[in-house]
Amino acid sequence: MEIQIKGLRKHYASEGRIIKALDDVDLIIPANQIFTLLGPSGCGKTTLLRSIVGLESPDAGEIRIGDEIVYSSGKKIAVPTEKRGLGMVFQTYAIWPHMNVFDNVAYPLQNRKVSKDEIRRRVEETLSLVQLEGFEKRPATNLSGGQQQRVALARALVGKPKVILFDEPLSNLDAKLREETRKELKDFLYELKITAVYVTHDRVEALALSDIIAIMRSGRIIETGSPKKIYFDAESEFVADFIGRANLIKAVIQEQRPEATVVDSAIGRLACRKADFPVGAAVTLCLRPEFISLTRGDHQGTNVIQGNIVTMLFVGDAFEGEIRAGEQLLLARIEPETKLAKDNEVWFQVKPEHCLLVAG
Amino acid sequence: MTGKHTKLTFFLIAIVGFLTVCPVVMLVFGSLSEGLTASGDFTLAKYVAAYSDPALLEVLFNTVVFVVGASISATTLALFLAYLNIRTDIPFKFIFGVISIIPMMIPHILFSVSWVLLLNPSNGILNLLLKELFALENAPFNIYSLPGMILVEGLLDLPIAYLIIAPAMSAFDASLEESSRVCGASTGKTIFRITLPVLRPAILAAFILCVIRGLASFAVPSVIGMPGRIYVLATHLYQMVSTGFAADYGKASAVGMSVLVASIILIYLYRYLTSAGEKFVTIAGRGYKPTIIRLKRSKVPLFLILGILSFVLIVLPVIVLIYISLVPYSMVPSARAFSMMGMKHWIDVLNDPISLLSLKNSLFLGIFGATVGIFLSIFVAYVIVKVRTRSAGILESLSFLSFSFPGIVIGVGFMWFFVRTPLYATIWALLIGYIATYLPYGIRPLSSAFVQIHNHLEESSLVAGASYLTTLRRVVVPLLVPGIISGWVLMATMFFRELSLSVVLSRPGTEVLAVQILRFAEDGLWGRLSALGIMMIAVSALLVILVNYIGNKVRPMVY
Repeated sequence: MEIQIKGLRKHYASEGRIIKALDDVDLIIPANQIFTLLGPSGCGKTTLLRSIVGLESPDAGEIRIGDEIVYSSGKKIAVPTEKRGLGMVFQTYAIWPHMNVFDNVAYPLQNRKVSKDEIRRRVEETLSLVQLEGFEKRPATNLSGGQQQRVALARALVGKPKVILFDEPLSNLDAKLREETRKELKDFLYELKITAVYVTHDRVEALALSDIIAIMRSGRIIETGSPKKIYFDAESEFVADFIGRANLIKAVIQEQRPEATVVDSAIGRLACRKADFPVGAAVTLCLRPEFISLTRGDHQGTNVIQGNIVTMLFVGDAFEGEIRAGEQLLLARIEPETKLAKDNEVWFQVKPEHCLLVAG
Repeated sequence: MTGKHTKLTFFLIAIVGFLTVCPVVMLVFGSLSEGLTASGDFTLAKYVAAYSDPALLEVLFNTVVFVVGASISATTLALFLAYLNIRTDIPFKFIFGVISIIPMMIPHILFSVSWVLLLNPSNGILNLLLKELFALENAPFNIYSLPGMILVEGLLDLPIAYLIIAPAMSAFDASLEESSRVCGASTGKTIFRITLPVLRPAILAAFILCVIRGLASFAVPSVIGMPGRIYVLATHLYQMVSTGFAADYGKASAVGMSVLVASIILIYLYRYLTSAGEKFVTIAGRGYKPTIIRLKRSKVPLFLILGILSFVLIVLPVIVLIYISLVPYSMVPSARAFSMMGMKHWIDVLNDPISLLSLKNSLFLGIFGATVGIFLSIFVAYVIVKVRTRSAGILESLSFLSFSFPGIVIGVGFMWFFVRTPLYATIWALLIGYIATYLPYGIRPLSSAFVQIHNHLEESSLVAGASYLTTLRRVVVPLLVPGIISGWVLMATMFFRELSLSVVLSRPGTEVLAVQILRFAEDGLWGRLSALGIMMIAVSALLVILVNYIGNKVRPMVY
């Protein structure tokens, strides 16, 4: 179900300062998509999620889930959490330690006057969906982190909620399990065709899981788009830098060609991805390390840059190299089996579509 | 939701505020009045009389020596025990758990009496034994002395000091010591240069708490101090209110003011230290085990010390009381003594209407009082932990205040209040006084129980469609059961053996166990005292076992 948020505001007073957790947020979360709120800690993403589910009461604004207004400061509506019919997976999973797996999962149905047989059938069905068949009688405290996470997911899904919300659900798992669970969750949500709102500060998680990503900063949504759009074609320097590692280089627009925008930068004249800036405007050129490929020999053609390797750091799947080009230090990813070494002179060519220009 | 919480918070502030502020205000009021019945005429005469009393100087000297001496010995002993338990490979570590819990079940007055029975100069069992063995003229030990008082009070305060120092010791990051060793310091030097300074906040906190308890202590000064004519502030004050015809509550209040003020200052110092200690003591997130020091040759002697200590703390008092309750008069255990044993004292006690009444009253106060107290504590702890508004902070400070209350002083304060109400000389006066003085003992375990209930556990219940009440019934209360049980047990045992508040508030008809025991001690009826004391310990142990049993039964049912 679609979620519409209008002018949502929430301010906190903390140690004499006003913190704008939500600064007039307008947002439409489309139905049956995996929508991720991504941002650094303290950006307001969790406050936004908790306002949707009703655990936080905003100062002003309106939240509509489907056709129902669940919160409106103007109309004085605030539907309590338990009447909103949503599902949520908490960061700590919040599995009740005094109940077994069955009771944990059955809980939302028990609050709705569903018959006992129906409850048993649906709990079994949901547990098999999350691959926990036969775990019904297990005490909830006797589960691994990954299993607890699945119980939390089953509990959120069992009531067939209009929307399912996730508050950093993978952050308590160890790295390997997190990668596996991420993949499973993606397949799972894709098959369910359910509206999911997902909060995280992990950019890889956001890129891997989402249909749409909204980036938040200081209580505002600053950019929304598909993972590819955000990664390759961010509109602001903050987003470009936040979503991945990036070399940020000062540049000035030199010429607008039909197929590219040409800039003068600290590493020379480069043809870049087409961007709508007037000639002479100061911009930031954003170049991701993974798109810089180095060769020893001389390169022909345009967008060729020459530099020196200053440091090389082996990190397993690659070398992280620092290249000095002119006055600028550039971070570059160098393949692990390279023959290149420190102090070598190198050349590289960057494709114009990998040179992203953002307002600077 | 917020509105409801505000109302609840103010309601609780009113109740707790009455319980804690009323005795203090009435004490101030009383110290400025002419007498219990003559209210309204204000005078400074009582202060002048109280503080120009030539006896006061000696009382103050005794108090300082007694309190500081007992606190130092309790803290040092606790530090030694905590180090042995946590940092060495001493065997049978379960003994430490027993040492830190069991002495709390033996009422202080009985512990003190058992030492009197062992070491009093005229017929103390140990003295008689030594006199026989070495053909001595005089008794080698005299418990009725300052060192005697310090010994017994120090042992009584040991568990509380241990319970503060041991957790700090186990949270200690051993790498701090290891790096000292790497830098070339010996084990001994490391203890004095690194371990003790890092633990200083915990050690100081334990010391201060012992001082507060020493100031409030009444059992040791009354049973051991008064027969030797060694008066400390608590007994000095008791003397003023207990001499039937010339009770001077005004003068007692004037003296009590300085005890109370000192206690309140100390308790806030304690709180400052413990909150600063949390920042100071390094608690590493990663799991680590402190390095265990191998004792080698000193293992056996150290273990012997530990064994003797636990015998003296736990077994000896009970054995002495049982023995004395069976023999006709104090005598050295011998074939003759065993042949003369009988149930005479037990029968006497069971036929003594006042003893039976005191047992009944104490049982009522223990069971009913703890139930009321815990009920109040649940709400107070909830507001303190979960609501966390500014007024919740006020509530916390208020409820913490009574941690400092010296029972006998608070008793005098309440006296000024109760004489103006129909509650005077009723059991309800005792009930109110008990709850006011021991409320923190109920709030503490419940606060930690609430802290353990992560907000997400409640919130996920709301998201799952449960109403606020359902959430309370199905999630919050079941998770609280262990906290409720331990709080209830703690309060019930405290109430069951309460002495220092009761000696002031108890009147004919509202006698309680500890006061009755004190009367027996004053009259030298050691046999009856011991019989009643053993009943007291047995009932209180039974109560603890029963409630834990019920708790274990109830828990799966609620879940």
